[in-house]
Amino acid sequence: MSSHREAPEISKDPVADSTDVYAFVSPDQPNTVTLIANYIPLQLPAGGPNFYEFGDDVLYEIHVDNNGDGEADISYQFRFTTQVLDENVFLYNTGPITSLSSANWNRRQSYSVSVVSGNTQRTIANGLTCPPCNIGPLSTPNYANLAAEAVHPIGNGLTVFAGQRAEGFYVDLGAIFDLGNLRPFEQLHNHFGLHIFSPATAGVNTTNHLNVHSIAIQVPMNDLVLNGHPTIGVWTTASRQRAQVWDADNGQEVNSGPYRQVSRLGNPLVNEVLNGLGQKDQWNTLPPSQDKLFAGNVTQPALASLLPTLYPGVFPNLAKLVAAKTARADLEAILLTGIPAGIVDNFTNYTGPVLADMLRLNTSIPPAPHGKTNTLGVVGGDLAGYPNGRRVTDDVVTIELRAIAGLTYALVDKNYTPDSAASAVTDGLTPASVSARYLSEFPYLGMPYDGFGNPS
Amino acid sequence: MPSKADQGRRMSRRSLLQGAATAGAAGLAVTALGAAPAFAATSKPAEHSAEQLPDGPITVHVRDIKTGDIEIFAGTGETRLRDKDLAARIARAIR
Repeated sequence: MSSHREAPEISKDPVADSTDVYAFVSPDQPNTVTLIANYIPLQLPAGGPNFYEFGDDVLYEIHVDNNGDGEADISYQFRFTTQVLDENVFLYNTGPITSLSSANWNRRQSYSVSVVSGNTQRTIANGLTCPPCNIGPLSTPNYANLAAEAVHPIGNGLTVFAGQRAEGFYVDLGAIFDLGNLRPFEQLHNHFGLHIFSPATAGVNTTNHLNVHSIAIQVPMNDLVLNGHPTIGVWTTASRQRAQVWDADNGQEVNSGPYRQVSRLGNPLVNEVLNGLGQKDQWNTLPPSQDKLFAGNVTQPALASLLPTLYPGVFPNLAKLVAAKTARADLEAILLTGIPAGIVDNFTNYTGPVLADMLRLNTSIPPAPHGKTNTLGVVGGDLAGYPNGRRVTDDVVTIELRAIAGLTYALVDKNYTPDSAASAVTDGLTPASVSARYLSEFPYLGMPYDGFGNPS
Repeated sequence: MPSKADQGRRMSRRSLLQGAATAGAAGLAVTALGAAPAFAATSKPAEHSAEQLPDGPITVHVRDIKTGDIEIFAGTGETRLRDKDLAARIARAIR
């Protein structure tokens, strides 16, 4: 998956597990940038009575690097506080929740937003209410209104939202993690001698009808970019205090000590499918500026050598590239430095030589006109899409599969001919594989699925 | 990566030794308002005003008794000590 349960340690801590991060020029507010970080993966909508919520003991951050050093120049921090109105009631709500001030809503969360820039930390908003989880037609009868009420303008052109959303990232996990199967091509898979599949089948979106928790902030572009440097790097982190002890007398955890990073996410799938199992937990503790340590996983990805093995005869040119131990300068550019000028016509999101896994958004590229969006982003000719930042509908699984399969290597080596399969390989999904409609306005991810309507 | 402010201030060795002595715990946390563990009497608290003490839990992590490598956490602060005597006293306290 993008980064859901991607590392051994963080998979045991879903509240702090970042799943996706998005950064794009807001299509309906093109003088702003929207940054979204998702947490708490694979939520079953009916997961009550203690429905999903952010961690009061987790520091959530969205970082922006605007000078290419892989260190945060601006960080937006989000801290949550849970309130229970009546401790004697076992229910999340005691009647319909018709507004964010409803007395029927027993367990609720609010949050503060701070900005860190240089050595300065400023709290810019406090007491902002999250929406409840989407429970069902009795408990949350007009969820769209509740969610709209939880979109908070906080002054100086900033708008924030934090709460449950429909999972917008689509991926066929069930097939991919069954030894690299891609249903549309499964007849070509080596089957490990088991001869299980004969015809190709359609992809299945594993994350459909599941929810996540999103932290979204829309920021005036001028707050983020330096003059003459329109490209920013974006990533999210979650941090916990170093000492956590179970207070058995009171039945709760107590925390102390400084916050330390336990989760990180920039480009989708880097820690998930490029870093090895023994490195994933360490990677989660480090800033992007340290990614030189892991650069070999990007330039010599194990997945590139697996594809010709799993799909015999389908990727002969990729197999030669791998056999020659060719360093994948294309992947290094896409994931670690940004794409220099002159590689793709009229496009660059290069931030300099520092190898750092960040979403890189060239803010000078306007959003694609309505109806002209290509979910394959830059490789599909749409310069406003991934890997120029990432929009909520971008098909990052297919884009990265094709890149790793060698499609983008031809951009840096004109003598290389990609295999024909490199431009066709996909898990077979599109934004239409997501049942919840994406929104055309902030926070862009769709309304969460409700528990009553999605009971299993 | 949390900001420097959230990575916490370093407390002075003295203030943390005072806090550690008050907490009297090894690899344990006790809240300032919680019941004192049985071994607390073995460490006599230093005299100081209440506002000098952290008001949340203090957690002591003895990383290595032999070298006296100790970490102490309070609020969002931490300090690391090398104090064989303190480590030995803490170790004795939990026996």
